[in-house]
Amino acid sequence: MNDKTVSAIIVGISIVVAGGLLWWLLGSPTEIEPIKRVTDVEAETLAGTMDDGSASKESIVNIEGIFEEFENSPTEPSSSWTTFRGSDYSNVVTDGPALAESWPAEGPPVKWMVELGEGHSGAGVFNGKVYILDYDEEEEGDSLRCFSLSDGKELWRRWYKAPTKKNHGVSRTVPAITEKYTVTIGPRCHVMCVDTETGNFRWGIDMVAEYGTEVPLWYTGQCPIIDNGVAILAPVGSNLMMGVDCETGKVLWETPNELGWNMSHSSIMPMTLLGKKTYVYCAIGGIFGVSAEPEDVGKLLWSSNVWTHSVTSPSPLAIDDSRIFLTAGYGSGSMMLGLKEEGGEIKVEPLFELDKKVFGCEQQTPVFYEGHIFGILPKDAAALRGQFVCMNPDGEIVWSSGKMERFGLGPFMFADDKVFILDDNGELTLIKASLDKYEQLARHKVLPGHDAWAPMALVDGFLLLRDNKRMACLDVRAK
Amino acid sequence: MAAEQESIKREDFIGKVSSRIATFFLGLVGGLAVFGARRKNTVWQLDPTKCVSCEKCSTECVMSPSAVKCVQDYPMCGYCRLCFGYFQPNAPELTSAAENQLCPTDAIERLFIEDPYWEYNILEDKCIGCSKCVLACEVFGNASFYLQIRHDVCVNCNMCAIARHCPSDAFQRVPADDPYLLKV
Repeated sequence: MNDKTVSAIIVGISIVVAGGLLWWLLGSPTEIEPIKRVTDVEAETLAGTMDDGSASKESIVNIEGIFEEFENSPTEPSSSWTTFRGSDYSNVVTDGPALAESWPAEGPPVKWMVELGEGHSGAGVFNGKVYILDYDEEEEGDSLRCFSLSDGKELWRRWYKAPTKKNHGVSRTVPAITEKYTVTIGPRCHVMCVDTETGNFRWGIDMVAEYGTEVPLWYTGQCPIIDNGVAILAPVGSNLMMGVDCETGKVLWETPNELGWNMSHSSIMPMTLLGKKTYVYCAIGGIFGVSAEPEDVGKLLWSSNVWTHSVTSPSPLAIDDSRIFLTAGYGSGSMMLGLKEEGGEIKVEPLFELDKKVFGCEQQTPVFYEGHIFGILPKDAAALRGQFVCMNPDGEIVWSSGKMERFGLGPFMFADDKVFILDDNGELTLIKASLDKYEQLARHKVLPGHDAWAPMALVDGFLLLRDNKRMACLDVRAK
Repeated sequence: MAAEQESIKREDFIGKVSSRIATFFLGLVGGLAVFGARRKNTVWQLDPTKCVSCEKCSTECVMSPSAVKCVQDYPMCGYCRLCFGYFQPNAPELTSAAENQLCPTDAIERLFIEDPYWEYNILEDKCIGCSKCVLACEVFGNASFYLQIRHDVCVNCNMCAIARHCPSDAFQRVPADDPYLLKV
């Protein structure tokens, strides 16, 4: 083999290698066949991965259940906390004794503390008795428990069997209480009415079985209300809303659900809009107003789908005679809704919308105090995440608590020119109720547990609050 | 005489050159062995407590798809029917159809366990480490989704390309025999 042949072989191999390399580098990538990703219902049903709703088709629950009475220690009369957010639904306490502006090193005195089933239900108070709809994990039932406000001893309980699996806890709601009746809504939409003093059963409604309600994701958070002896409920199944006579359990009126909407975690809020008393509810699908006036009670006055989100926990907030503030978490932001009467009809339109980074609330309903809206922003609110903020009704942030003062999903309430804010981990913060700035007065970890999300109640200077497993009564009065 | 001197010089030269080349190669081999051994003792990993879900893990890795994958911490998961790590915000329906899913590559498998529980599994072959699900789970859920470098894919570069671009300095060397930084 001479030099010429060797050179030719080397050049030939080089050309082949270079060509191969070029082909590899410049060649088109392997074609990927696009796959149409749609739900294969047949395959998923066979695999057992389809939720066909069969799991929620439950047998009828005997809501009368079982009554148990305990040691009857005498109770001292007290003021009341009759429903979710107090008797005027504002979460602003305007009566009662002066409250302490600071706490001792060991925190505000704990009057008593009791164990509860895992959940987020809040307490109501009437005439020295505390009422809470607990979930009894051993008996697998919703249990309305009545405690003495003065010492926390349990007086009686009425419970019905309704096995419910933990899904971020079980219990959720606050009872509605009058002198004669107490109405509760269980996590799976069982309504129970009992005699407030004795706990005697009056009537029950299974909203799923009787009104086709779809239990919201993570169970319902709807707190019932009682208006002039009538329980106002929003099944948002076969009807949107209905009024039930507390004395007899008879359905007095129903508002048909022609919109095909569903129940949310929100609660019905009574408001006076355009001079007319109205029950307002945020459903999954939209928001609507039902007349609460005697002459046309139950009439659907207006509805709109401008505010619809897959999860809505906060309730609508009345700003004035013609404005409602709406907010939610999970990226929803907020909206100011305006109402006006045109040609005998009520028109509803958004006045402005706010991005999630400006204002939103994931679980708690904001508080309207001295013409301003207060709330804790969710984790997706960028710089304002977790901050307690004060916003004017034009949607402009007046102040925020600052990046060093962030909170979770827990409740907040106004009383005696102060604000109580409960953090997820049971840490209670007291600040001044101010339109100018965030000013902290006191802070103490008052509950050992976590997920302290239930609404608080304040009666005669005694603050009732809970974490996911226990309820405490704190003495927050000034000395 | 001149030829003898020349011959000695050549031998000297060859001997010296050979011994130096041998020393160099011995040193090189030894050095590489030590370096290789040290390198094998540590690997790259991502600290989930520092991660800000910036999506750079999906674009900066030398591997394609990235060696960074989402992992699921089952004890932390809420097994929710509406999982914000799985579904788009305000998804039209809670089904596995593409328009409802947050994951761009269909890398999360959703299995119905029993009412009201659903299980979410990461399909690592499809996961590109974009962290969309991680961010949503962190913000709205129990934060059971988080990112980890998977060492069956990672080639353990001397200078990790993602670490150079990580805005939160979340990448670090960890012992090779304990290569994951778990949340719990």
